[in-house]
Amino acid sequence: MYKQKLISRLIIHLFFVISLFICIYPFFYMINNSLKTGMEILNYPLSLPHTINFSGYIRVVTELNILRLFFNSSFIAGSVTILSVLLNSMVAYALEKIDFKYNKIIFRIILFTMMIPPVLLLIPTYMFLFNLGWKNTYRVLIIPGAISAYNIFLFKQFFKQISNTYVEAAKIDGASHFMIYRKIILPMSIPVLSTVAILAFMGSWNDFMGPLLYINEQSLYTIQLGITKFRSSIPNTNLQVIYASTTFATVPVVLFYMLFQNQFVKAYSGISLK
Amino acid sequence: MVFILPWIIFVSSFLAYPLLLAFRTSFLSINVLSPDKAAFVGFENWLNAIKDFQFWKSLFNVVYNQAFFIPISMALGLIFALLLFELGNKGVLYRILLFIPVVTSVPVAYIIFRDFAGTSGPIQKILVLSGLIDQSIDWAFTRYLPMPIIAVFNSWKWFGIQMLILLGGLHGINQSSFEAASVDGTNWFQKILFITLPQLKHQLIFILTVNIINGLQMFTEVYILFGSGGGMYGAGLTPVLYLYDMGFAQQKMGYASALGLLLAVVIFLVTIIQLKITNSDEE
Repeated sequence: MYKQKLISRLIIHLFFVISLFICIYPFFYMINNSLKTGMEILNYPLSLPHTINFSGYIRVVTELNILRLFFNSSFIAGSVTILSVLLNSMVAYALEKIDFKYNKIIFRIILFTMMIPPVLLLIPTYMFLFNLGWKNTYRVLIIPGAISAYNIFLFKQFFKQISNTYVEAAKIDGASHFMIYRKIILPMSIPVLSTVAILAFMGSWNDFMGPLLYINEQSLYTIQLGITKFRSSIPNTNLQVIYASTTFATVPVVLFYMLFQNQFVKAYSGISLK
Repeated sequence: MVFILPWIIFVSSFLAYPLLLAFRTSFLSINVLSPDKAAFVGFENWLNAIKDFQFWKSLFNVVYNQAFFIPISMALGLIFALLLFELGNKGVLYRILLFIPVVTSVPVAYIIFRDFAGTSGPIQKILVLSGLIDQSIDWAFTRYLPMPIIAVFNSWKWFGIQMLILLGGLHGINQSSFEAASVDGTNWFQKILFITLPQLKHQLIFILTVNIINGLQMFTEVYILFGSGGGMYGAGLTPVLYLYDMGFAQQKMGYASALGLLLAVVIFLVTIIQLKITNSDEE
């Protein structure tokens, strides 16, 4: 019985190791090829680099100006994250902890707006923002992403668990709603704050359609748009530059994920694992 | 009141106003660069959209894609969730690493994928060596291969989320039902089929719903592989890509708005049908 269990365990581990290899191999392929020369990639795409060659990385920094793209993406995603956390939590606080007779209706509307498919608003939102003259600005990628019905919903669900006695007690002490929100509610809400922060940051960082529609000035490209446009301008003999650019775009995000993987699990699945 | 103000501004400018504009625009022939030349065309855009073969073709393509993506990715998510649950704490490292494809961006994934699955990439090399295919295929230029291949690759990209959601569901299942079953002498597969799966119903329905709604709106994958034209034979055309092509590449904003509304109607109908089916199951 014991031996049988040991064998089945071994098979499961073996299965996972093989799966991991398949799952991670494309990343290895990318990094491996980013260190070769273009001709080497074309002739021996699978072999290890003959000599380590950094020309891809050098060209990505000098020609694509990837550090600038990094700054753009970080600035946009950072702003979206801060605004998302602040604004969505404020709205949720009002809906959950302030007595206001339209709260129920407003929450209904918020739930309803979650059902509107984004594609429906693509053209009219573009026309609206185009007419505002927001094309080729940072704010066109920041402001529309700052509020999301789903994030309000997440905050509201969390605030529901915070006992009203805290709010009542603070009110008796003469605290304003803003004080209660800032000093009591927010410090108690770190788990949901990190969830919303991760979803907002990743959504904005990985967004492709937004930059594609609204940004055509090269100095404002985000990293996703930059590497995609760059792909079509590079001939096959210099493929290492492409792989260097995608490696550049991927490694920081993966490291970030590794550091905060527990928070990522919660954010993406709405659950917490032990 | 001040607390809700951001939402009111947001809803009126980025939801209500565009929604009205979508309806208005769908009755116009309009170009965003010269809005003064807009002309009222009545239901012309709508009628053309309904009659548009390319639109229905693009809709067929996403359904075709989902027919592969949903079973493959859900099977992967389920298998890994069940095995991770078996391993308990010993599977944490596997779980962390298997999720990496999810955090990478779609553009990065598809830029690599194009070469990785291309004629000289490792996937086709293995297939040729193992004799499964005679020679490498330039699948992007075939009539029916692009969508299933994208589905396989998207399964790689997204199964991690489904795995996590199902793993969370497994942790929530009452352990005593398992113990009762093992006393009865049921084997592992019977346990999964008759005890575990029914208890994961909510998670499975949630995953299915999200998959269908997201799948209908696929864009970045096909844009990177095929550009705004949708590739040869329109094999990579999706509704959103088609809408993008009409509205932005060809500057037919009115027509694109009508397409958007039509697609919204389709998504709405699918959602209602789905709610009906899942609700009738509940009873």
